[in-house]
Amino acid sequence: MAFDIDKYAATSERLGWDDLDLDHFREQPLSADTLRTLRYMADVEYHTVCYTRDLLTTPSHKEGDISTFMTMWNREEFWHGEALGAVLEVHGITVDYDALRASRLKLGWRDRLDPIKQSMLGKIVGSDFVAVHMSWGAANEWSAVSAYKRMADLETDPVLGELLRRIARQEARHVAFYVSQARARLEKSKRAQKLTRLLLSKFWAPVGSSIMEREDVQFVFGQIMSGVEGRKEMKKLDNNIASLPGMKGLTIFEKALDGLGVAA
Amino acid sequence: MTTRHDPRNEEPFDIREFTRTAQGNFRAELDLESYATAPLDPSTLELVRYLERLEAATMEHLRNLLVTATHKDARVTAFLVTWAFEKFWMADALDAVLEANGLERTKTIPEGTPRRSADEAIQRSGPIRRAVAAVGLGAPIVAVHMTTGLIDEWILETAYNRLRESTSSEPLRSTIERIQRIKQRHEQFFADETDWRLRDSARAVRQVRAALATAAWPIGAVERAATDRDLFEEFVFGGAEGKERAESVGRRIAGLPGLDARIGQTTARKLVP
Repeated sequence: MAFDIDKYAATSERLGWDDLDLDHFREQPLSADTLRTLRYMADVEYHTVCYTRDLLTTPSHKEGDISTFMTMWNREEFWHGEALGAVLEVHGITVDYDALRASRLKLGWRDRLDPIKQSMLGKIVGSDFVAVHMSWGAANEWSAVSAYKRMADLETDPVLGELLRRIARQEARHVAFYVSQARARLEKSKRAQKLTRLLLSKFWAPVGSSIMEREDVQFVFGQIMSGVEGRKEMKKLDNNIASLPGMKGLTIFEKALDGLGVAA
Repeated sequence: MTTRHDPRNEEPFDIREFTRTAQGNFRAELDLESYATAPLDPSTLELVRYLERLEAATMEHLRNLLVTATHKDARVTAFLVTWAFEKFWMADALDAVLEANGLERTKTIPEGTPRRSADEAIQRSGPIRRAVAAVGLGAPIVAVHMTTGLIDEWILETAYNRLRESTSSEPLRSTIERIQRIKQRHEQFFADETDWRLRDSARAVRQVRAALATAAWPIGAVERAATDRDLFEEFVFGGAEGKERAESVGRRIAGLPGLDARIGQTTARKLVP
């Protein structure tokens, strides 16, 4: 079914957590490992605007529906960052704008050249590149839903569980948008399928890989995706991607987790 | 925190409060029924359409900002994310006015051909040129984006005022007032950032002066249809009174730290048709 962008925009709201008792963490603090993963998630959410930048340098931004989606999506993700930041704050970990700025500055030259590279690629392959972005976004959002749900299941704290499930519900709407866009665009063009398949299999990496240290990526995905249940989730993610037109047989998640050395 | 003297204003714009209280959809608050019996005239509707296009063009503008060092500043990006959200709903309100007057939504109507004047060529650069050009500029580019954002607010404020004063439609006046209230906080943010950044850095001042010399107004105008721009310039800045309005914007620019009457007049001249 087609994604109703007007309805999505009209019902997009910032994540609420006023009704959740975050102060109870003062008596029952979360473990250091959990906090490390939450910190990672908060950073990734706050950096959404940087991914938007990469999207905007390609022809995607000229399409009204995509531009509407990105406006709402950006704001929702920003508030996921704020929500996770509020949990961290109770534990004495401050994620302030200056700290975020410092981590963006650290990215340096590599990052600075990125929009140029993306934009040139976008120019060469034109509108087929939008299909790549939409498929890429689908893979990222699918894994975000999984990550938040897995984390909610692994954590025994009910307040954190509820907060993470709320975030996952919004992420699921993002999935719906990206998947409907990706599917429609891939169906229309064999060239887009080939390009998407090539780029996903060669370059896709778990969300956050480009902005976080490798050991943080390994730690977080080890925490969320290891063991029998983790691998089951991973297979589900790969099946999702494989269900997109022309993506049959792709196992980008398995490859990524193996590459990170996440235990099965 | 750093030990370096913090150049920012003592009571900076409250970005958290702004993000928390962002204005979403306000269609329900608008008086749209009245247009059925008292529709707006065609030229007013054309102006509303153009203002809609200007407010809606956030992603186009974000693209140009984010390929530069501006994307590194998390305070600024937190603002921009919320600013884009509010502008989306202001554009939606203007669309609601157009629809209530029997017209189609803006996104379904193709936009006309832009102007191709040589002196605005630089403003038409795509993201590649902008990213390359910004590589050596570093953080002062943020000051350029904040200053041009502020001036853009002043220009649109002038346009909305003019439309509010010229229309006899009470519902349109009240919709414009509603929009202007939302835009006040955008202006405050840009003003706050512009002020400390220009006071803090002579390089920022130099870059702002250079940027204003080649700017086209309002922001994003180079992407808009030539006919719409003509209409807008004539309506807001045409004639003797219009010229005075343009000069008034120029004087405000001249009053910014490090800028002067000459640079203010340069901008005023660009505004008049």
